[in-house]
Amino acid sequence: MSTADNCSSQPEANASIGRMDRPAELTRNIDVSNLVDSEGGLIDRSIYTDHTIYGQEQRRVFARSWLFLAHTSQFKKPGDFFTTFMGEDPIIVTMDKTKKIRAYLNSCRHRGVRLCRADAGATKMFTCTYHGWSFDLAGALKSVPNEQAYPEDFDRNKWSLIEVPNVQIYKGLIFGNWDHAAEPLEETLGDMRYYMDAMLDRDPEGTEVMGGVMKWELEGNWKLAAEQFATDWYHVNMSHASALMVLSPTGRGPKPEIVATPGRQFVSENGHGAGFPTHPKSRFDAKPVHEYYDYEMLRERLGDAAVEGPMTTGHATVFPNFSYLPVNGSIRVWHPKGPDKIEVWAWVLVDKSMPDDVKDAQRLYNLRTFGPSGIFEADDGENWSEIQAISRGFVTNQVPLNFQMGIGSEKEDGTYPGKTSELYSDAAGRSFYKHWSKLMNTPAWHEKKEEA
Amino acid sequence: MSNSLNIGSIDDIDEGEAKVIPGDENGTGNDIAVFHAEDGNFYALDDTCTHEEASLADGWIEGTEVECPVHSAKFCLKAGTALCMPATIAARTHKVEVTDDGLVLYPNVAANADA
Repeated sequence: MSTADNCSSQPEANASIGRMDRPAELTRNIDVSNLVDSEGGLIDRSIYTDHTIYGQEQRRVFARSWLFLAHTSQFKKPGDFFTTFMGEDPIIVTMDKTKKIRAYLNSCRHRGVRLCRADAGATKMFTCTYHGWSFDLAGALKSVPNEQAYPEDFDRNKWSLIEVPNVQIYKGLIFGNWDHAAEPLEETLGDMRYYMDAMLDRDPEGTEVMGGVMKWELEGNWKLAAEQFATDWYHVNMSHASALMVLSPTGRGPKPEIVATPGRQFVSENGHGAGFPTHPKSRFDAKPVHEYYDYEMLRERLGDAAVEGPMTTGHATVFPNFSYLPVNGSIRVWHPKGPDKIEVWAWVLVDKSMPDDVKDAQRLYNLRTFGPSGIFEADDGENWSEIQAISRGFVTNQVPLNFQMGIGSEKEDGTYPGKTSELYSDAAGRSFYKHWSKLMNTPAWHEKKEEA
Repeated sequence: MSNSLNIGSIDDIDEGEAKVIPGDENGTGNDIAVFHAEDGNFYALDDTCTHEEASLADGWIEGTEVECPVHSAKFCLKAGTALCMPATIAARTHKVEVTDDGLVLYPNVAANADA
């Protein structure tokens, strides 16, 4: 399996992006400098509610960042496909005849209908149901019914599929970027790779996803979820109190040392974040999964610090909207659906070498805790929806939110790569919004250079 | 015209798959698709869909029908009949025989000619 090497095979088609020279009023940009105070730890609530900011996010955050598309195990043979979104843009991810993973805009070049309406499957061609324009796995326009009626200079090459020009894979995770000249995925991840490896690299055979994708909708801005997974262990003991009571072996709640656990929170300049308690005996919660692992072998493979920290319990976000929880293998995308709505798409990730019964135990544990009706997941969604539901109030919207925990605590601790803060800290949140703000104030590849 | 052509072993085409015998090899000038249908039998049609340019050998074989991979027209593999829109014209059939020496194709001989 390979990916397109940073270049679309349909350059003539992609030249159509922005071809009509739109008036500037359609793409008005707001200077967000005053809305994000990453030094002082204040966030203005308009960034969760304003429609102009939301449109700017689509252009300057989603259209130029590495966005999670799918897992490589979803593609086994040419023609296998999966449909998803990059921001609000509909995307087909497929394996072409040379086994290259490619991603196309899921919209017919003729009148714009979604070419592929299935969630996933296998095909030979992508044919529009409206008039029958048909595209092959390489995105080339192969059939135009009644083609002789078009002008003589009609050139199929110019009307092939719009292709995501940059598709790269990190340890089974496929990411796409509309920016042809984007910094390579691995460089953008930087030290975040160490924390991701604690989940992706436990098994020499790698990982795979089980079954389909769980999808559910929430009221709330996508950043509320992405930021929480980057930076927020703080909510655990309060929001998830009932779940922690239920899960404690005694029924009387977790031990004080677990509630007051030490831990670290990784803070990335590129907006990523990962937090995790640290304990010499960190373990997986699902009993069959715990019993399956040889922790000594994992220590040799990943190092002591990874095994005692980010390998099990913890949270993480790869900027902007891909998050995961290593302890239950939940990997998810927070798809923005307007400023007020998120569509959560969640997969269950397991090690390839696990026996089927262990995989199934992890899947069930995932469902019970962080599935759409999981005892933890429901707590989180309720908070984000509550924040959103009242944020349109005139006074409410002007009262800044507090992100001041752990200001100045970021340091290189000599154990964990990059800069880390305390477990209980808003450091990665401040960094998430700082990076968001920088992108929002910087023209992207599709803008004329003189615009600012 | 009743030339015949040995086109290889029956094991060359898995059930549910098809193989193209190019026009210059089969002598008709048009590609011929030989299908191994889900009834276990072999059938042959002109490979190019009668609706638009598409290879029926790339299509989906279900039972004794093939669905065009481009616009989803369906054809009967036995008689070539166009079974649904957007195709309205039948595909030409060619006779195929399973012999001890393998598969034998009779280009331009209709499948039901001897029946």
